Amino acid sequence: MATKRDDDDILTGSVPSPEDEATPAERAHAKTFADLVDKTLAGRTPPAMSADDRALLEVATVIRAAAGNAELATAKRDALVESALRQAIGGKAVKSGAVTPIAKARARRAPWIIAGASMVVAAAAILLWFAAPRRVHVVDHVIDHAPAALQDNWKSRPADPLIGPISRDHAGDASARLDTIFADRLDGYRELRMRGGH
Amino acid sequence: MASEPATAVELEEEQRLVEEAQAGNLDSMRPILERYAQPLYGTVILPRLGDAASAEEVLRDTLATAVEKIGRFTWQGKSIYPWLRQIAINKVFDVHRQAKRSRRLADALVHEVPAETDPDSHADAQLMADQERRAHRIKIDETLDVLAERYRLAIELRLVQELPREDCAKRLNVTIGTFDVLLFRAVRAFRKHFGSDVPEETHGD
Repeated sequence: MATKRDDDDILTGSVPSPEDEATPAERAHAKTFADLVDKTLAGRTPPAMSADDRALLEVATVIRAAAGNAELATAKRDALVESALRQAIGGKAVKSGAVTPIAKARARRAPWIIAGASMVVAAAAILLWFAAPRRVHVVDHVIDHAPAALQDNWKSRPADPLIGPISRDHAGDASARLDTIFADRLDGYRELRMRGGH
Repeated sequence: MASEPATAVELEEEQRLVEEAQAGNLDSMRPILERYAQPLYGTVILPRLGDAASAEEVLRDTLATAVEKIGRFTWQGKSIYPWLRQIAINKVFDVHRQAKRSRRLADALVHEVPAETDPDSHADAQLMADQERRAHRIKIDETLDVLAERYRLAIELRLVQELPREDCAKRLNVTIGTFDVLLFRAVRAFRKHFGSDVPEETHGD
């Protein structure tokens, strides 16, 4: 099990020689770090990790960057450029994703404001006209399907079956266990979204 | 990133875009930002931060600052890249200062590209970026050279060649678990030696 003293020593303590036998705590920490490196190489660096792991992962990233292994994807680059231009011009910064170039957006804006406003008024009038009958229909629809039970992996549930008993040797490997639980929950969420659920 | 130096035509085009931006058409900066985003990210920002998410934020802020302050830039017959690079470096140190974290990584990579501070230089951006990458690599290699052979190999295989863990373990004739321990220790050892000649008192300011 990783102790506080072990963690303190990671950044400041002496490093064993390659031939030295690893303790169970060191093996557990090494496995956690190896998983972090895996994810980083796949472009999925977890946002949360211990300060020690972050410090070591930063070193690993510096080595990769110096080797020319840190490319900025074109889509990401374009999104950052667009976001920077918007930020500089006074608009809201865009974090990522596809964006419309600001020059095009400006050129198109004026006529669409008038047309858009008219469309909104017309759509609101139509919605008001039909709203009441549709609402009754929706309620019937929901009641008809209410008995359909949610799958287990879409519901709140204990993590014990997933993780199992935690042996003392693996007590320090909480990060890996959290990753496992997160991945399991994410699978259920994605499945629900892919089939059109909310 | 291409290593070909910029041609005179490209420099003329860059000058025209800068002048357009200074005249008020800030969107003319877009091709310049797109061209230099990767060298700024890969050779200036990420190696000094070591964190991709922070590096992307710093890159965005760098580019935004460049657009905001383009009016202050004076064309001196060379690329705008050294000016962008200096903005990026200032932003990196701002991050270290605000987060109150060690500047060890950034300080370890202090090896200013001479062209940056020489107003008479016509050094091209690509050449500067290549020169900087080589300088980083030399610093990394110097540190790797003082590590135990197996640690150096573990870093070389996993972080430089980016081979899967299984392949790295096979090359070193060990189990995956043992390779994980080797890499863990190797990165710890690397960190202890990297930038160890940087005075400690410069880290926290």
